Amino acid sequence: MATGALHPIEVRVLGALKDAGWVDFDSLLSGGLLPDQVRRSIEWLSSKGFIEVEQNTLAKLVLLLPTAPELLLLRRLKEAGRPVPLSDLKKDFKSQDEFSAALGRARESSWIKVESSAVGSFVSILDADGAAKLERLLAHLARGAEEDALPEELRPLLPDLIKRGIVQKTEEKSTRVRITRDGLAALDAAEGGRVERLTPDLLATGRWRGKELRPIDVRAPAPRFYPGRRHPVNEFIEEVKEAYISMGFTEIEGAAIQPALWNFDALFTPQDHPGRELQDTFYLMSMEDDSIKREGVVDRIASTHEDGWRTGSRGWQYRWNTEEARRLVLRTHNTVLTVRALESAKEDLRVFALGKVYRNENLDYKHLAEFHQMDGVIMGDGLNTRHLMGFLTGFYRKLGMSEVKLWPSYFPYTEPSLQVVGYSDLANDWIELGGSGVFRPEVTWPLGVKKPVLAWGLGIERLILLRLGLDDLRVLYDNDLGWLRRRATTSIAGSQTLQG
Amino acid sequence: MPVVKLYKDRLVKLVGGEKRDVLQRLPYIGLDIEGEESDSIRVEYSPNRPDFSTDYGIARALKGILEVEVGLPRYEASSSGIAVLVDRRLANVRPFIACAVAKGLRLDDETVRQLISMQEDLHNGLGRRRRVAAIGLHDLDAVVPPVHYEGVPPSFSFAPLGDQNPMTIAEILERTETGRRYSSILPDSRLYPILRDSKNTVLSFPPIINGNETKVSTSTKNLFIDVTSTDKRVGSDVLAIIATTLADAGASLQTVEIKYFSSSEATPDLSPLSMPLDLPLIRSVTGLDLTESEINSCLRRSRLEPSGTTVAFPRYRIDLLHPVDLAEETALGYGIDKIKPVYPASDRPGEFSRQGKRLEKIADLMASSGMVEVMSYELVDESSFYKKFERSAEEKVEVSDPRSIDHSILRDSLLPSLLSILSRNIKEEYPQRIFEVGRVYHRVGKKVEERWSLAAMIAHSQASFSEAKMYMESFLKTLANLEVVTSPSIHWSFSDGRCASVEASGRGVGHIGEVKPSVIVAFGLGVPLAGFELDLSNLLRESS
Repeated sequence: MATGALHPIEVRVLGALKDAGWVDFDSLLSGGLLPDQVRRSIEWLSSKGFIEVEQNTLAKLVLLLPTAPELLLLRRLKEAGRPVPLSDLKKDFKSQDEFSAALGRARESSWIKVESSAVGSFVSILDADGAAKLERLLAHLARGAEEDALPEELRPLLPDLIKRGIVQKTEEKSTRVRITRDGLAALDAAEGGRVERLTPDLLATGRWRGKELRPIDVRAPAPRFYPGRRHPVNEFIEEVKEAYISMGFTEIEGAAIQPALWNFDALFTPQDHPGRELQDTFYLMSMEDDSIKREGVVDRIASTHEDGWRTGSRGWQYRWNTEEARRLVLRTHNTVLTVRALESAKEDLRVFALGKVYRNENLDYKHLAEFHQMDGVIMGDGLNTRHLMGFLTGFYRKLGMSEVKLWPSYFPYTEPSLQVVGYSDLANDWIELGGSGVFRPEVTWPLGVKKPVLAWGLGIERLILLRLGLDDLRVLYDNDLGWLRRRATTSIAGSQTLQG
Repeated sequence: MPVVKLYKDRLVKLVGGEKRDVLQRLPYIGLDIEGEESDSIRVEYSPNRPDFSTDYGIARALKGILEVEVGLPRYEASSSGIAVLVDRRLANVRPFIACAVAKGLRLDDETVRQLISMQEDLHNGLGRRRRVAAIGLHDLDAVVPPVHYEGVPPSFSFAPLGDQNPMTIAEILERTETGRRYSSILPDSRLYPILRDSKNTVLSFPPIINGNETKVSTSTKNLFIDVTSTDKRVGSDVLAIIATTLADAGASLQTVEIKYFSSSEATPDLSPLSMPLDLPLIRSVTGLDLTESEINSCLRRSRLEPSGTTVAFPRYRIDLLHPVDLAEETALGYGIDKIKPVYPASDRPGEFSRQGKRLEKIADLMASSGMVEVMSYELVDESSFYKKFERSAEEKVEVSDPRSIDHSILRDSLLPSLLSILSRNIKEEYPQRIFEVGRVYHRVGKKVEERWSLAAMIAHSQASFSEAKMYMESFLKTLANLEVVTSPSIHWSFSDGRCASVEASGRGVGHIGEVKPSVIVAFGLGVPLAGFELDLSNLLRESS
C-alpha cells in the first residue's frame, strides 16, 4: 500500500473515477484540470496502485466514401426491377474506370450477368442478396466501429475496401483509467467524507451523516452590503420632534407658501422692513393671495401697524398697504405657522412646527437658501420670561448641550427678546441656536389672544453639522451616496458614535 | 445687521468702569460679539437701537448697567441763531429738514471713523438706504447763515465732494456712482433739493452727495448737521441720535430754526418722551416679583427715568412703542443672567401630527426595503427640470430675483432631483437605489398647490420596470393594504412602452417606468434606470 497524503488534484481525479468505470483522458480534463496536471496525477496514482491505466492503440476505421461502387450498381438494378441497358447504367458513375471496376466486381462475385443482344448489352441481377455481407459491413462502418468490434464473418472483406480507398484505417493511441479497490479506499480516507456544502439532497437522504463540511477561510472578506437608510437630517429631525413630544408639545404643520400678511404683517414687521426685501425673501413671481382684504383680523393687524390700534402701542406710524400683504412668499420662518395656530386656537396652546424655511441667500459653507427651523409657542395663563428661559434650557439639555446661555436680542414681534446660545462639547465652543421671546401685544391682541405667549425659532442644521462632525452646510444636501451609505450611526447624546 | 468696531481702551475710558466688567457686560445690553482682537472687539447691534452705532451710544448704555451713571442722560441745547429757509416747492420733492449745530469738537481719526460709520448705519437702517432720511455733516465755519433748503433745476452746478470741478445736477445723477445708485429716490421733477448758504456755497445735494467746500476733517471744530427726509418723525429721530452722540463726544449742542412756509420749529428737539409705567404688566411679563422701588432702579440702569405713573425716556430711544417695552428694560437693568429660569411643565402629553407620522412611516418603510433616503432642494434650475427632458417650461413656478439660477424655480416633481443625485454618484458602486419624500409645487389656475410626493429610482445594469413595480407594489401593500392598477401611459421621464400610470381606487396617484435613454444620457449616466413617483396627498388623508 502506498503511503503519504494525497495531493488535492489526485483526490479530484480519484473522485471523478469513483463509480465511473473506465474513463478516458479527455473526460478528466472537463473538471477544469490542465492536461499536464492530469497526466502527472495518472502517473502518481498508477505508481501507487490506486488506478489501472490502459494504453490502447485503437484501430479506427473511417468510411471515406458513402458506399462501394458495386453496391451502387446493384441498387440501381434493383430499383429498375428488370434488365438495364449498359449504357444507361454508366451514367451513374463518375468515370469509365469506376464503372468498369464496379461492373467487373459485380460479375466476378456473380451478382450480375451481362447479356448482349441485337440492341446492345443489358445487365441483370443474378444474386440479389449476394452483396448483403458487404452492405452490413458498410453499415457498421458508417456508424463508426473499431475493427475488433466487427462481426467475424465481415472482417475478411475489409482489406479489399481499404486497398480500394473506400475505408481508411487509422491507429490512435488512447489512455483510459479505472480506479482500483485500493484507490477507492485511499479516496475515502483522503476525503474523510467531506463535502463542500450541505444540499437539500444530502439532508433529505440522510447522507449528511458521517460527512464533514470542508473548512473555509473564515477570515476571507465577505461582499460589501449597504442597508437602506434614512437621511441623517431626517433622523435628527425625528429625534428633535420626539424631544418636543416628550415635553408635551403637539406638532403642527402648514404650507411653505404664505402671504406676506402672515409671514410678516401679523408679526408686527413693518412693510418697509429690510428683511422683507427681494434680496432676503423669495417672492413668488406675479402671484398674490387676492382673498386678503382689509377687514376683520386683517384690518386689526393693519391698524396696529399704523397707530397701535387698541393695543396701547404707538405703532409704526405709516400707511399700511393691502397689496403688500397679499404678496406670496416662501416662508422665511415657521413663526408664520405658530402665529396662525394662535389665531385659530380655542384653548391654551403648546405647539411646535419643524420644517423648511427659505431665504434668498448666496449659498456658502454657512448659508443655505433652504434649511430647517423649529418654531414653538406656549400660550397660557401666568406664563412669563422665566418660563421661556426654563423651557429653552431644559430643551437644549435634552439635545446634548451641557450649558445654555440667554442674551438679550431683538425681533419686531417679541419683547423681551432673547438669543439662545449653547455650549457644545462636540465643538468645544459656544454656538448660536436661535431666537425667542414673549410675543408683543401688537401681535397677539389683533388675533384676539390676551394671554401671554412664549415663542421661539431655532435652527437645526448647525446642530446636525455638530453631530456629524462636519463644517459645511452644503454637504448635508449634496447627497453623496458614499456618505449616505457609509456614515456612522449617531445618537442623540451626540458624543458617542459607532465607526461605520 | 450692522457691526461696530470698538477699541477696548477707548470704550473703557468712555464708560469709566473696570475693563473686565465693561467687556463682560456687552452681550447683556443686546450686542452680539462678532470677533475679538487684543485691542478691539467687533459687535453687532440690532436695528432697533441705532444709538448703538458708535461707541458713545454703547458707552452711554454701559454706564447705566454698571451704575456709573444712571437715569436719563440730559441734553441741553441753546439757540445757534442760525435759520434754515425751506423752499415750499420742495413739499413734493423731499419736504422735511431738521438741523443741528455741534460746537467745540475735538475730532481724532477714530471719532471721525465712528461718525462716518454711524452716518452709514443710519442711512441704511432708519434712513432706508437714504430714501426716507439722509444726513449731511458740514464744517460750520465754512457756512455763512442763513441756510437755504431750496429747489433748483437740473442745470444747477456745484463742486461735489471729492471733485474740484463743478458738475450739474444732471451730470451728478448720471455720471457719479452715488448719483446713479440713489437717483431713483428723487421724484422725476424738474426741481432738485440743495442746501446752500447765503454766499451760495453749496453744503449738499441731498440725499446724493455733499458739497466740497464744507467738507469735514479732523481739524473741524464746529459741525453743522442736516437731515432731510420724507418722513418728519424719522428725520427728527435720526437727528436726535446724531446730536446726542456728538454731545457725548464733548460738543455743546445748539438748535437751528427751520422755517417752513407756514410754520417754524427749532431742531433738534431733544426733550425726553414718556410712556405709562404699568407695574403689574412688568411683573407678569418678566416673572420677577420686584417692588416698585426695585423696578425703578432697574429702569434707571437702562437710562430711563420713572416718575410716578410714567417713565421718561431719551429722544434717541426710538424703539419704545408700548409699555411692555419697559418690561424688557427692567429685565435688562436687572441683568438677564440673574433671572432664574422656571421650567413650564405640561399638563398633558404631546403628539406628532398625523401627517408627520404618516410621512415618517412612509420613509421608514422605503428604507426598510433597502433604499437609501436622499434630501434635495425644492428650489431648482430650469435646465435639470425641463430642458433635459425636452418638456415645455410654460407651467414653471418662479421666484423673483433669485440670487442664483440654480435655485430659481419650485420643482414640480422629485424625479429630476433623483436623477441629478445619481449623476453625481457615478463613481459609487452599483446597484444604487434611492428615494425621497418631499414637497412639489404645481400651478393650478392662478394658484400654486403644494403636495407631498414619494419618488424612487433604481440604477444598475439590470434595472427594469419589473423591479420598480416590485418595490412600489410591496410598499403600497405594506403601508396601506393598497392594490394598484398599472395601465400603459406616457410620461416625460419614461420610455414609450415601458411606462405606466398608477391608479388606486380609480384615482391616478403617479407614474412608473424605465427612464428614457435620452434622459439617462442627458444626466451623464451610463446605466439603465427605473423608478416611480407617487402623489401622497391621498395616502396622507386616509385615516391610519
